[in-house]
Amino acid sequence: MDVERIKFERTGGFAGMTIARDLKPDDLSEEQVHKLSELLDDLEFENLPEQMTGSESMPDEFTYTITVETRRGEHTVVTGDASAPEKMQELLQFLNRLARKKKNP
Amino acid sequence: MHKHSPVNCIVPPYMLKNIATSGTPVQKNVAMETLKLSAQMRGQRQALADFSAATFRVAAGGKDRVVYDARNGSSLPGTVVRKEGDGPTADVAVNEAYDGSGVTYDLFNNEYQRNSIDGNGMRLDSTVHYRRGYDNAFWDGEQMVYGDGDEDLPEDERLFNRFTIAIDIIGHELTHGVTQFEAKLQYFQQPGALNESMSDVFGSLVKQYQLQQLASEADWIIGGGLLTENVNGVGIRSMKEPGTAYDDPVLGKDPQPGHMRDYVTTISDNGGVHINSGIPNRAFYITAVELGGFAWERAGQIWYVTLKDKLTATSRFQDCASQTYQVAGQLFGAGSVEQQAVRKGWAEVGLNVDGGGTPPTEPGGGCLEALLRMIGAAPAKR
Repeated sequence: MDVERIKFERTGGFAGMTIARDLKPDDLSEEQVHKLSELLDDLEFENLPEQMTGSESMPDEFTYTITVETRRGEHTVVTGDASAPEKMQELLQFLNRLARKKKNP
Repeated sequence: MHKHSPVNCIVPPYMLKNIATSGTPVQKNVAMETLKLSAQMRGQRQALADFSAATFRVAAGGKDRVVYDARNGSSLPGTVVRKEGDGPTADVAVNEAYDGSGVTYDLFNNEYQRNSIDGNGMRLDSTVHYRRGYDNAFWDGEQMVYGDGDEDLPEDERLFNRFTIAIDIIGHELTHGVTQFEAKLQYFQQPGALNESMSDVFGSLVKQYQLQQLASEADWIIGGGLLTENVNGVGIRSMKEPGTAYDDPVLGKDPQPGHMRDYVTTISDNGGVHINSGIPNRAFYITAVELGGFAWERAGQIWYVTLKDKLTATSRFQDCASQTYQVAGQLFGAGSVEQQAVRKGWAEVGLNVDGGGTPPTEPGGGCLEALLRMIGAAPAKR
């Protein structure tokens, strides 16, 4: 997948703190871009349903809103810790780590 | 931002599971069908099988704890590392989860005569070391889940320690389980903020119970010790002075209001459930300090009975104010010092206990009630 930008937002959690990050390939290492593309391709991200949450959030779980922009357009998926399918967990971990590392610029 | 699908827009899976477990045959069928649909929509084919297994893991006796280790993965519950009666392990997170759930069990059992989360000896399952760099803890409808904080970052970048470090977090998560079996407060807007507040109230009481602290001695901080030395803050929330727990260049400032005039309207965080909970949190703090003594005794009893017997899925702050006042009257007498303390607690956050209940006007309440009525499971506690 030829990613131009990823918008990542994490809300809720026990602490109720929101993290929102714009991730662009130019800001990431070659290895990170490769890994991200691989994870998104494996998931067939653009074909995932927009809502991958349960009927209601579980108490204190994180809710993730992930928007992937490519030349063909953009696709957004909303999911949560307890409702995200197993195959999506690696992507969540990867994005979490990138987003948290940016807390201290 | 949390969005609702049109079909299963509101009824949380745990409510459906309760109905599927304890409803009439017709209710069970409707609930099971909805669960199946929900599971399919989420791509969780395993969900129903897991539920069947979890539903029946109820112990006949008393305190029964199991701690699992996810070994930095995301599969739940993980590998068993300590069971009830086992001695301490070398892993501090395992021992904290075990001990903390034990004190929580003791508080509810000894003070409120409640045998575990469901009132019927349900096993207390905890998973530690969930994922890597997971700065959170949550209740997944069946068990507690704890991350290790920012253990994967360089030390000078870490903001959060492990989430078992504060016993009030453990009490907080377990109380979500109690709420799930009692008031079933939906996790959205004011009912969701009440859900959060109940977890903070009993989480703090678990800590005070462990330390045998008087209300006047307690710090009323939620998540004390959770933030690292890199953060300017004493914890995640202050029940005494909402909005003052942290003020940090990286984390920002604690956004909690302590009065209705500062109520935050937002769609983020399920409608600000972790933000506006500061208002009922402070009402409890004022009530408890006004009464003095051990907060879990009179103030805690009033809040517990309200959670168990009065609040429903769509209750709002005003409902909680009026009902805690009623319960105080029932338990301690009309005009008693306990009832007056409750009145003062709510008055100081801008709510009048005589105000009567307000209708559930926020989005979703109507949908929930309609579905519950359809299956004949509408709450009828009042």
